[in-house]
Amino acid sequence: MAGIFGFYAFGEERMNWDSSKFIYYGLSALQGRGQESTSLAIYSYDTHSLKWASGDGLVDEVFGKMKQEDVKGFLGIGQVSAEKGDYAIRVEEPIQLALVGDGKPELHENRQRSFQIFAEMLSKKMYELKDPLEAAKKLIGEVKGGYSFIALTKDERMICGRDVHGIKPLEVGAIGFDIGAVASESSALDVIGAEHSGYIKPGEAVNFDPLSIERGRINHETAYCSFEYVYLARLDSYLNSISVSKVREMIGRRLAEENPVKADVVIGVPNTAIPFSMSYSENSEIPVRLGFTRTGRHVRSAIKPSQFDRIVGVQLKLNPIRTSVDGKEIILIDDSVVRGNTLRNTVYNLKRKGAKKVHVRIGSPPLISRCPFGTEVPPEDELIGRALSNDEIAEIIGADSFAYLSIDGLCKSIGLPRSSLCLGCFTGKYPSLHNN
Amino acid sequence: MKIMGLGNASREHAIAEALERSEHHPRIFWLGDIGNPGIFEICKRTGGDFALSKTTDSEKVSEYAKRWHVDFVIIGPEEPNFHAVPDELERRGIPCVGASRDVAMIEMSKAEMRRLQWEYGIRGKLLFKTFRSAQEAYSVLERYSDTLTWLQNVALKPARQAGGKGVKVVEDQQLYLHDEKQRFKSKHADWLEGYMKSYSDIDDKILVEEKVWGPEYTLQCFTDGRCIKGMPLVQDNKHAHEFDIGTETGGMGSISGPGFTLPFITKEEYEESLKIVDFLVRAIQDKVGKSYHGMVAGQMMLTEIEGPTIIEMYSRLGDPEALNVLNTLKTDFVDICLAILDGNLSKLNIEFDEKATVVKAIAPKGYPDNREMAKDHPVFVDRQAIKREGCKFYWGSADIREGGEIKSAGSRLVEILAISDEIEKASKMVDRCIPHVKLLDSWGLFYRSDIGSPELLSKRMDVADRVRMLYQYRRDKDMLGKRVDWLPKVGKMDPVALLRDELSKRGE
Repeated sequence: MAGIFGFYAFGEERMNWDSSKFIYYGLSALQGRGQESTSLAIYSYDTHSLKWASGDGLVDEVFGKMKQEDVKGFLGIGQVSAEKGDYAIRVEEPIQLALVGDGKPELHENRQRSFQIFAEMLSKKMYELKDPLEAAKKLIGEVKGGYSFIALTKDERMICGRDVHGIKPLEVGAIGFDIGAVASESSALDVIGAEHSGYIKPGEAVNFDPLSIERGRINHETAYCSFEYVYLARLDSYLNSISVSKVREMIGRRLAEENPVKADVVIGVPNTAIPFSMSYSENSEIPVRLGFTRTGRHVRSAIKPSQFDRIVGVQLKLNPIRTSVDGKEIILIDDSVVRGNTLRNTVYNLKRKGAKKVHVRIGSPPLISRCPFGTEVPPEDELIGRALSNDEIAEIIGADSFAYLSIDGLCKSIGLPRSSLCLGCFTGKYPSLHNN
Repeated sequence: MKIMGLGNASREHAIAEALERSEHHPRIFWLGDIGNPGIFEICKRTGGDFALSKTTDSEKVSEYAKRWHVDFVIIGPEEPNFHAVPDELERRGIPCVGASRDVAMIEMSKAEMRRLQWEYGIRGKLLFKTFRSAQEAYSVLERYSDTLTWLQNVALKPARQAGGKGVKVVEDQQLYLHDEKQRFKSKHADWLEGYMKSYSDIDDKILVEEKVWGPEYTLQCFTDGRCIKGMPLVQDNKHAHEFDIGTETGGMGSISGPGFTLPFITKEEYEESLKIVDFLVRAIQDKVGKSYHGMVAGQMMLTEIEGPTIIEMYSRLGDPEALNVLNTLKTDFVDICLAILDGNLSKLNIEFDEKATVVKAIAPKGYPDNREMAKDHPVFVDRQAIKREGCKFYWGSADIREGGEIKSAGSRLVEILAISDEIEKASKMVDRCIPHVKLLDSWGLFYRSDIGSPELLSKRMDVADRVRMLYQYRRDKDMLGKRVDWLPKVGKMDPVALLRDELSKRGE
């Protein structure tokens, strides 16, 4: 999983813009999509070539080590990734290009290797066809998987696109009469002060060059990643014209409708489940309370690489607020359950602070399958939702009841039919793979 | 009847066509800086004539009008107005539908237009400042650079109408990107100073206006100087590329209807906009003591500050906006011209079809920044195929050479129009015609597929709804047009009072 961002300046005065500033803030906005590595590639007007810069760590840390002059240029792309050493791809021949990607093309087991092959194919096709848009379109038609990408070439092009199902998002924005920007989420466009103008369609390739923006599309049924709406994307983002916040509001409402239970207070596990808890409360008329205070910077616990880090992350970040829980029957809402460890910990902490009962509700269906498109879900034999029933899980995590959101409830919350969504992590069935 | 027209863009092709449709069956004569093939054809067909001539040369234009014994002249573009071509024609007793130099000041000098608006208290104003040099501009921009005054979020423009070039809008809202944007503002001020060197007819070089946000629309009107008649609203799309990205152009396409308003502008806002344009036309006539007879248009925006607001004025029809309105016009266009010339416009009932229209421009790659690259490519158009799609085709920046070969001339090459009951349908009709226009040397063309699409329309409506809520709230609180600012160590400031002060000092 990754967050990608592209910056493209037009017009006679384009050289006056420095893309690295925008990439820095754009990637900072996408930090939640990957916290292990940061990288970028810039087109340098002085040398008429591409420059790469990268490092492991957060955007702040990696940019902090870069020299200003090394990353100066009016065109640029960047990436944050949830994997260490997962940097912007570099291809030298036949056409020099840099590429950043989210998700995973189905070309290799390893995400980075897969994008490396993808980028090499793109370079070769562009060289052969002499038509960058056609090359990108053809490639999207050929390569299965769930991915979005932004490539920057030595000849001042920025080419971006999404797989035919549009599994991974890619949004477009504009600043004044000068700048076009592309990002995994619209919030990154807001942060740099761009007007969000739309999204790249599933199967669509878009070619930015100094003289034009061209679009070409392979028409196909869509299958947007549903997990983006539940968990991955920022609350203030729009993906594919759908508001993430609206979906999460609907999820809270559906949770209240699907598995009602009597309680004194609703509490959401920070951060993702807070909006669920608020609309759950609104629809159940049970008051909502803030249940926890966090220590340390925001770490996305589900995508932390190691188990130890994850538990430490949870203990560090979630300290229950006693007056919210003491002597109360609680509905505790979380966004997803992976292994159940963190939830067990949380329920235990609540009870120690005096919670009488804890009913756990999950804002997504049980995770049963590992995402082949690069979202970090642990191996299947580590997924508690695959192995155990609701009652068993309740017993293990020490809750008084436990329920998931139904798949139907999730689709209705997003507002799209089942057939237009990728629900693979909940069903085990994925679009866009060779074995389907 | 003999009519002579001036100009060579798609707008003029549409004007010539509207004249040709008339029951008066006029013979049509035309002058163009280049040979628009469409106008050329109409002239031949109606028994008129076509000649290449500098359209800003009032002597030459007048000579042609005399030679051809035309009954009146109609002017398409703005530059002949700025060069007093209508004035010279009238001096020689040739009636002219077109704004004379003094009244065309509302377009030629964006600064004078604003001053007039403030002086006469016409609604739909923006705060502004003018500068004679880049140095002067950025010293002021810099002085307030670390506070959130209106000088932070600005449009930097050439103070003169300069072929729709050089406008930059810099919203400097994010303090963390401030240095970056401030640097760009200064650099653009330099660019403007250089660009304006070629215009010696104006003292103000750089215009800085407060940046506003909202949906734009064009209200085009006929006027005989006594009354004003509004046409259906049109929305033009200025960005060169898809997704509203990229350089400012003369307009890559426009939508209208169905009916007089747009899906995102209310009837009430239409009426208010018409009042503003009407008032402005009266004001300029009062100011310069001359009659305005011809076409006038307000490039408007719905803003949170004042609702319908003037961004710029046109002393002519818009291009491509002219195509939208002339194609739904039911009243005889020659009758309208005659009413304008006779001062009888109020008695004429002007009617339009209640249809939706979409126009899209197709331009060779290179437009608008590298026009040399966009020039001299041989053009092929399958006009029968476009007709079969139910669309209409207009030549723009195309030059018919001896022997009939047509070559691109660097700007918007052709414009294609569709009429339907819905904007979205018309947009799709136009899209189907795009492959029927080609450059024979395989140089690339571009156009905007997104104009008139459901996505772009819903985006406009969404923006309009938000802006409408804001300005209506201000209206209810009696706050329209008010601005309050606060500067650390200075205190509360009233930018409107400051501007009025500045303007009155200037007047002394």
